[in-house]
Amino acid sequence: MDSDRPVTGVGRGFSPAATEGCGGGAKRPVWPLILLVLAFASSALLAQYQKKPPDFGGIYSFPTPTHPEPRGIVLLSLDVAMLAIGLGLGAWLILKRRSRGGVMLLSMAAIAYFGFYRKGCTCPIGSIQNVTLSLVDPRYMISPGVIAFFLLPLVAALLVGRVFCGGVCPLGAVQDLVLLRPKTVPEKIERVLRWMPFVYLAVVIWFAGWGMPTVTTSGKAIVLRRFLICEWDPFIGLFRLSGSFHMLAIGAAFIVGGMFYGRPYCRWLCPYGGLLSILSRVSWKNVTITPDKELDCGLCADACPYGAIHNFRADRDNCVACARCYERCPREVERLGGEAVPATLYSKSASGPGAV
Amino acid sequence: MSETSTRRKFIDTTCRVVGFAALGGIGTILTTRASAHAVFQVDSLKCTSCDLCRTSCVLSLSAVKAVNEFSKCGYCMLCPAYMDVTSAPDEKGVPSGRVCPQDAIKRRVVGKEDLDDPNNNYYEYTVDEARCTGCGKCIKACKPPFGNGSLRLEIRYDRCVTCNECSIQIACPESAIVRVPAPGLSPLVTHGETANG
Amino acid sequence: METEARRYTPVATLAGRGTAAEFKRSLSGVAVGAGRVIHALGDGEVRVFDANGGVTRAWKAPEQAACLTVAPDGRVLIGLPGRVEIFSATGSRVGGFAAGQAGEPADVTAVKVVRDNVLVADANARLVRRYDATGVERGLIGNRHKTGSFMLPNGSLDIDVDAAGAVYATDTGRHQVTSWTLDGAPIAAFGKFGQTRPEDFVGCCNPVNLAVAPDGCVVTAEKVAARVKVFGPDRALLAVIGKEHFDPMCIHIHLAVDLNGRIVAADPVRRTITIFGRS
Repeated sequence: MDSDRPVTGVGRGFSPAATEGCGGGAKRPVWPLILLVLAFASSALLAQYQKKPPDFGGIYSFPTPTHPEPRGIVLLSLDVAMLAIGLGLGAWLILKRRSRGGVMLLSMAAIAYFGFYRKGCTCPIGSIQNVTLSLVDPRYMISPGVIAFFLLPLVAALLVGRVFCGGVCPLGAVQDLVLLRPKTVPEKIERVLRWMPFVYLAVVIWFAGWGMPTVTTSGKAIVLRRFLICEWDPFIGLFRLSGSFHMLAIGAAFIVGGMFYGRPYCRWLCPYGGLLSILSRVSWKNVTITPDKELDCGLCADACPYGAIHNFRADRDNCVACARCYERCPREVERLGGEAVPATLYSKSASGPGAV
Repeated sequence: MSETSTRRKFIDTTCRVVGFAALGGIGTILTTRASAHAVFQVDSLKCTSCDLCRTSCVLSLSAVKAVNEFSKCGYCMLCPAYMDVTSAPDEKGVPSGRVCPQDAIKRRVVGKEDLDDPNNNYYEYTVDEARCTGCGKCIKACKPPFGNGSLRLEIRYDRCVTCNECSIQIACPESAIVRVPAPGLSPLVTHGETANG
Repeated sequence: METEARRYTPVATLAGRGTAAEFKRSLSGVAVGAGRVIHALGDGEVRVFDANGGVTRAWKAPEQAACLTVAPDGRVLIGLPGRVEIFSATGSRVGGFAAGQAGEPADVTAVKVVRDNVLVADANARLVRRYDATGVERGLIGNRHKTGSFMLPNGSLDIDVDAAGAVYATDTGRHQVTSWTLDGAPIAAFGKFGQTRPEDFVGCCNPVNLAVAPDGCVVTAEKVAARVKVFGPDRALLAVIGKEHFDPMCIHIHLAVDLNGRIVAADPVRRTITIFGRS
């Protein structure tokens, strides 16, 4: 039988400039700037030793004050590379292989790398704030890595849908992995809740770009820009293994909530998810549920914890590419060498399960 | 039906092209404004050692540490940042009280040592970063006129997780946490402040 | 020998806030010439004051001028990093020489003239250099101390000479006032660290400045405590001019003593010169 075979070559269609990360494709090369800063800094350090030290009367060499280096450009480039690889791998696993197991492994790798190793920071969700601030104020120092983190999942969404959500985002992965028995949310409430990410996005952009007027402890009236996403990130306390009470409480709430309602943060709050859902709607390739000549079993809709399958089709905006539908689809099981499904058991003519 | 699907496809393709163009446009603007990786650092000229560095960092042991600029340090026996000079002296006449609540300042005699009179010795003072909480008491005690001002608070990158938004920056009443391009040297170091200000 | 305690009270203030002679940016030195004429270094110039506090003469000092002194013949010597510049009483340059060693320019924090010697306090090398008027080095003072030269944690070395030609220098790291012959042989030292007794020197590095009075008394200035003390010829404490007269943020209080024993103290933070007399 014919199935709607999705993307064959995931690598094609990715713009080379987007994946080159720092230095290569950027308009202003960053290496000379860094070398210049280093040269200036080292000469400034040397300049401090003009004053002759006292005669200590013995063998003594002035220790140089050490300045541990922040994360170097090689590792920062590695982060971008890992994101690109994750997106590519995710696209292949979800769209071509349709493998739930593969997606789960990718999710766990993402939690390990982007979550616990990188401590969840800087993430594409948070990069909205950096991008907003840089567009509003040209003096804001935005690094090429953050730009890449903002653009890559969005470009991927335009090409292959929300593969970022499916296998790469550590926040989504945490919620996905703790899911036990998803409850369905009534359609009316769901529709209202699905507007919240855009409201949050607007608030986040406002606070990051223009800020809130506040009064400081010393009495000055200033406008303070805040990165709300960073302050209210549910899982960063988990990744850092420390945090303030409110951060840990929110994290616990989302984990507990995530056990019964699939991906609450992703569906009803994530501002980046809002952006991804808009772009995913017009993506070139996306998660497709193969129309079958004989079956309309609807097990995919049953399996989808996020209510993203309607009329046996994945809603392109809401589908977070978790591949659970593929796991349950009898035709997919058959394709992967599992038991063939007898045609009479689930027939289109019967009024059995399948109606949504 | 094929009409709607071609019209649908056309709309989709147009929107996709517009989407790519928008992303490309944003990407271009941002890349022209891109700079080297920026990290947070303490501007010592504004810092007032208020103790908020110790409590506001997302890490339980703050990434802010006291750093001694050896070239400015006087190597005094009676270091006002090491000992509380007003405290009761011990049998050798050296004040016994310590400024650091964690006892994180270590000292050792350097050069020729006079065992009878500690006054004649030079001492090298270093900060044990595993104990330092970034409270700033030693910095306050070393500031002129008490001392030379060789101690300063500095964010150490072997500990700092480089959050996208520094929680210490939000808390700091003097706006002394600034973003500087990596390698993240303190503005004090890069501007080469002289010892005798 | 006076052994009873003395009292000093301010008798005059020069260059106060709001006066015509006010120093607007800096005040870094004070000296008494010919026994009574007060010279001050600040705002990039040398100002000569008359008895009423008016400025009789003012002339531009060299860049980076750090300290000054007036020689018995009226010439004014100004110390700068690595150099000493000599001016006539009217401010025209008559000479100058490089101070310090090759590659290690002196950090000149005080200059004094005794007989035909020019004494230069070098805080970089942590000793006192003795030159003739043309800059030929004749000797060093302070490098024969028991465990090394002066300990100067805050980089200030102040010197003065008494009538007999003995050189007095602050050894701030050791909390002592030391005296030496012109050849560099140590004569005596007094003072020690203490926070409680008034005759002791507080904090990590004090006294920061000193001056020798014509009657042999030594006047010292301390930072943090922001006070000026007078020690008699037997080195007993005679008087304390308390911190109410000086800014608590001072890291120096420049001192000079005139012919009549009045103490001239320059506060570099408030940029005023106060003259204290005995009451």
